[in-house]
Amino acid sequence: MGCSASVPEKNTTGRLGGLNPDNGGANDTKNLRVKLVLLGDSGVGKSCIVLRFVRGQFDPTSKVTVGASFLCQTIALQDSTTVKFEIWDTAGQERYAALAPLYYRGAAVAVVVYDITSPESFAKAQYWVKELQKHGSPDIVMALVGNKADLHEKREVSVQDGIDYAEKNGMFFIETSAKTADNINQLFEEIAKRLPRPSTS
Amino acid sequence: MPSDSNSSSSDSDDGNPNSNAGNIDQSLDAIENQLASITMSSRSPTTTFDEEEEVVEEEEEEEEQLLDQLRITNGSLNEKLGAEGVVDSVDDDYVESISKAESSGVIKESSSSVWRNASEADEAEAPLTPSSSGYAGERGSSSGGDEINDDDDEIGEVENDGVSGSHEWVSGKRHPNEDDASVSWRKRKKHFFMLSHSGKPIYSRYGDEHKLAGFSATLQAIISFVENGGDRVKLVRAGKHQVVFLVKGPIYLVCISCTEEPYESLKGQLELLYGQMIVILTKSINRCFEKNPKFDMTSLLGGTDAVFSSLIHSFSWNPATFLHAYSCLPLAHATRQAAGAILQDTAGSGILFALLMCKHKVISLVGAQKASLHPDDILLLSNFVMSSESFRTSESFSPICLPRYNAMAFLYAYVHYFDVDTYLILLTTSSDSFYHLKDSRIRIEAVLLKSNVLSEVQRSLVDGGMHIQDLPVDPASRPATVSSHLGQPRPAADSPGRNRDTFVGIGGPDGLWHFIYRSIYLDQYVSSEFSSPINSSRQQKRLYRAYQRLYASMHDQGSGPHKTQFRRDENYVLLCWVTQDFELYAAFDPLADKALAIKTCNRVCHWVKDVENEIFLLGASPFSW
Ligand SMILES: Nc1nc2c(ncn2[C@@H]2O[C@H](COP(=O)(O)OP(=O)(O)O)[C@@H](O)[C@H]2O)c(=O)[nH]1
Ligand SMILES: [Mg+2]
Repeated sequence: MGCSASVPEKNTTGRLGGLNPDNGGANDTKNLRVKLVLLGDSGVGKSCIVLRFVRGQFDPTSKVTVGASFLCQTIALQDSTTVKFEIWDTAGQERYAALAPLYYRGAAVAVVVYDITSPESFAKAQYWVKELQKHGSPDIVMALVGNKADLHEKREVSVQDGIDYAEKNGMFFIETSAKTADNINQLFEEIAKRLPRPSTS
Repeated sequence: MPSDSNSSSSDSDDGNPNSNAGNIDQSLDAIENQLASITMSSRSPTTTFDEEEEVVEEEEEEEEQLLDQLRITNGSLNEKLGAEGVVDSVDDDYVESISKAESSGVIKESSSSVWRNASEADEAEAPLTPSSSGYAGERGSSSGGDEINDDDDEIGEVENDGVSGSHEWVSGKRHPNEDDASVSWRKRKKHFFMLSHSGKPIYSRYGDEHKLAGFSATLQAIISFVENGGDRVKLVRAGKHQVVFLVKGPIYLVCISCTEEPYESLKGQLELLYGQMIVILTKSINRCFEKNPKFDMTSLLGGTDAVFSSLIHSFSWNPATFLHAYSCLPLAHATRQAAGAILQDTAGSGILFALLMCKHKVISLVGAQKASLHPDDILLLSNFVMSSESFRTSESFSPICLPRYNAMAFLYAYVHYFDVDTYLILLTTSSDSFYHLKDSRIRIEAVLLKSNVLSEVQRSLVDGGMHIQDLPVDPASRPATVSSHLGQPRPAADSPGRNRDTFVGIGGPDGLWHFIYRSIYLDQYVSSEFSSPINSSRQQKRLYRAYQRLYASMHDQGSGPHKTQFRRDENYVLLCWVTQDFELYAAFDPLADKALAIKTCNRVCHWVKDVENEIFLLGASPFSW
């Protein structure tokens, strides 16, 4: 089953319509549920990042994503809140570009991924950032991720370039490796911390 | 290498080599040269790899078989049948284009003439001695024997460090580094290409599309040359190679093959290949060519090589590709009904089609209101899902097009695997109903688990299906109300799957080896499980090719509603019986008695009737909602 929350779901009202959880704004203060979309060129490691985060696995044999895959993972933060990520891992191929809004519409978080060994994928990441700025939710939390950090000897995009671009666009930046698991959990924990909390009033 | 510029006509029946050479356009010359060199290289005596020598032998073996088909005769059940209706399998159109194009390589489709000759021969049931073919001996001497390679459309597995027994089929594009200058590329027995009308490569089964730009341009040139003359090229023959063309608006499809499959079969395969492309992109891709004739489509198909290569692979093992029917996983009637009921429950609420599948077989399917699902769409959809590994990883939501349902628009598919073999596809027109479909799946899954459908499916995979050894002895003498059931325990040696023992000369009753029964009204077929002596995948493929040829010859235009065909060669006795309700294709031991074989076929039909509610999806024919 795609979605196995480690924490009992509080809100089980029927959902209708939209690729969004119906209660996007109806989270209680201790249990957040957020829609997260991964965007980026095909082959940069989006699926590997998700599978590392959700299942703790890394499978080097490439399995090209078709359409988009849906996975969930819940994490507990130190202040005892839990965040359930409903993750859309998109395909990133050109033929699906026109359909991307289907997946990022209403997303609270967008993770834009590139491959540090590929300047083209970095350019593609910038395309996605612009697209999200134009068409995404206005208060979307965006993260810029340079993946395959384990391949540092083949690096072609410098850390500084990543930091600079992220800063200019108000994004959170991190380099990860799905292969070694480096910074994968940190990525999602950082995102969780930056989420707007529902007011307690 | 000896230059053999005339090889293109060397074994053609009615080509008129070079009689009007002055009229031949340069583009025709060019393609002839290309094709001739492919032909030459596959005959080349100067091969270096052992594996390649093996391939040459294999090909000779096939050729030898063909010659034998000419020599060895068949009797027909009914003297009128057989000879008629199988002669002119290729329409006049193309013969016309031949004479206009003056191409020396274009001849009538060859296997139809084989059939004609075979049935015209008056010597009935020639004695079969090993020496009458010389074939058995040759087979013995070819080092790989039956174990070579399950996909002998290609040359031996040159890059596979000699693991000749391996039957594992690898998905995805193979040999991507080849191009039309590679010896190995030229030796492939079956090529498939897609290109645009401006000559840009779109897809090639072997080799990198971009490196094949020159070859694509050549193909494009010959197509447009003939099209400009008001004709359409359909078939060119160059030596042992058939080149089949299919024009679909701005997209051209080409198959180059020396497998001796009938023209109609190869054309059907190109149609499916085109349909698979439509599944991924919809027919609105044509608009891109209207805007920009030089539009490059390859990037749009990124990551889909596995989908196409798996489809092409299925041309040699999945009879659904030529029968245009689907098959069901054998299941107890109650089990299938339980599955159908819960699918029916969910369908309608925004779900257009719900399909529960196990591998390429249907467990149950339902459609909303009057919506109907074409068997070819089922084939292409399940091929797409099964060959895209990512669907197995997690539940997915993907745009998808059903070419026979509506080639212009995307539907949205929710795909979820319950286990490694069993998956659910929910199709909807609404792009934002993911959560609804997910909830539906959760409800469906609960019911399937509660009613043990999923475990029954696993059981059927292990011991389900029709095993010819179980053919009831005399169905006529039993009361009609007693129905036999499938999946009863049988000796472990007969366990399904690929039976690898080398036990020869067995089979079912009266020499029955295998059968396929296709129900016309249901659009479904059932195929008996393979058992000795059809053990290896290579033998299975050969049998399918024989059925395919039989199917093509039975489906020529101008044939009556009732037809039978009986033919005998050194491999099998093949019996085909076509009525308004069903088609039966059966293979027997080559020494089987004809009268007994006919009787056995009647028993098979009774048997199928007896167990029809286990092997077919009844009352839910896609065309009768
Ligand atoms: N070395 C290295 N390879 C990776 C890493 N992440 C992914 N890959 C490889 O990159 C390829 C594409 O990964 P995938 O997750 O399918 O990319 P996607 O198209 O963005 O989903 C695969 O072959 C992975 O094995 C990583 O962190 N390090
Ligand atoms: Mg992916």
